[in-house]
Amino acid sequence: MFIFTKMTQIPVKINNKNPRLASYILSQYGGPDGELGASLRYLSQRFAQTEKSGIALLTDIGTEELGHLEMIGSIVTQLTKGEGAKSFDRYGVGDYYIDHANGVYPASASGVPFSAAYLQSKADPIADIMEDMAAEQKARATYDNILRMCDDPDVTNIIRYLREREVVHFQRFGELLDMLQSKIK
Amino acid sequence: MENNRQISAQQLMQKVSEAAFYVTDLKLYLDTHPDDARALRMFGEASRNAKACFDAFEKRYYPLFATSADCDSDWEWLVGTWPSQKMA
Ligand SMILES: [Fe+2]
Repeated sequence: MFIFTKMTQIPVKINNKNPRLASYILSQYGGPDGELGASLRYLSQRFAQTEKSGIALLTDIGTEELGHLEMIGSIVTQLTKGEGAKSFDRYGVGDYYIDHANGVYPASASGVPFSAAYLQSKADPIADIMEDMAAEQKARATYDNILRMCDDPDVTNIIRYLREREVVHFQRFGELLDMLQSKIK
Repeated sequence: MENNRQISAQQLMQKVSEAAFYVTDLKLYLDTHPDDARALRMFGEASRNAKACFDAFEKRYYPLFATSADCDSDWEWLVGTWPSQKMA
């Protein structure tokens, strides 16, 4: 089960407003390599893991990704808090405003709604972990793209942190893969 | 006065999040290195420290877990900075 804690992994405190940057960062909320897909992928795949280490790692990383989803939603909210239709339009994201105003909606930066087609659950521990390692690299690459667009230090610090977590997750999944493969031999 | 209190809530939250993060990171490491004696010792210490930080924060500021919410007169769970908000 899950217990909500009234805090984020690192504090989210964004002082400037920028609806366009918010719409880019939203991709890590509901985009193809975002945190919603990551958490659903791991939390679903764990049911078919055979080793305790695999069940634990997918549960624990899936839970951490849910926390990251919350951080992304918080960044998007703070970047758009109090901004109206005209501001969204000036920042070039009037179309987002028409559909969702200041709401956080799980979609990609290009506006495609979240889809479970972004992930798989194959009941094959090795196939699943290999997907997960690729997913971590794609999430890391998306954070790199966001960093190229972002010039707000409040946001950059958090994005760098989240990017670093993807690197750690990749490392842990790699160790799990080695463990599973050595059990087969 | 209010300002000072807020600043130290932020500082204490910084400590809480660092302590909780250390536990999270060690937990993932232990999932794939369950026999690492040094990491096990570190986890014990990290876990005790995180609990102490949670307690200190909740005692001074507001509940982080619903089970800590005071319900004598009003619903204290509502108090505090929720994830969508920024700490003042
Ligand atoms: Fe990750």
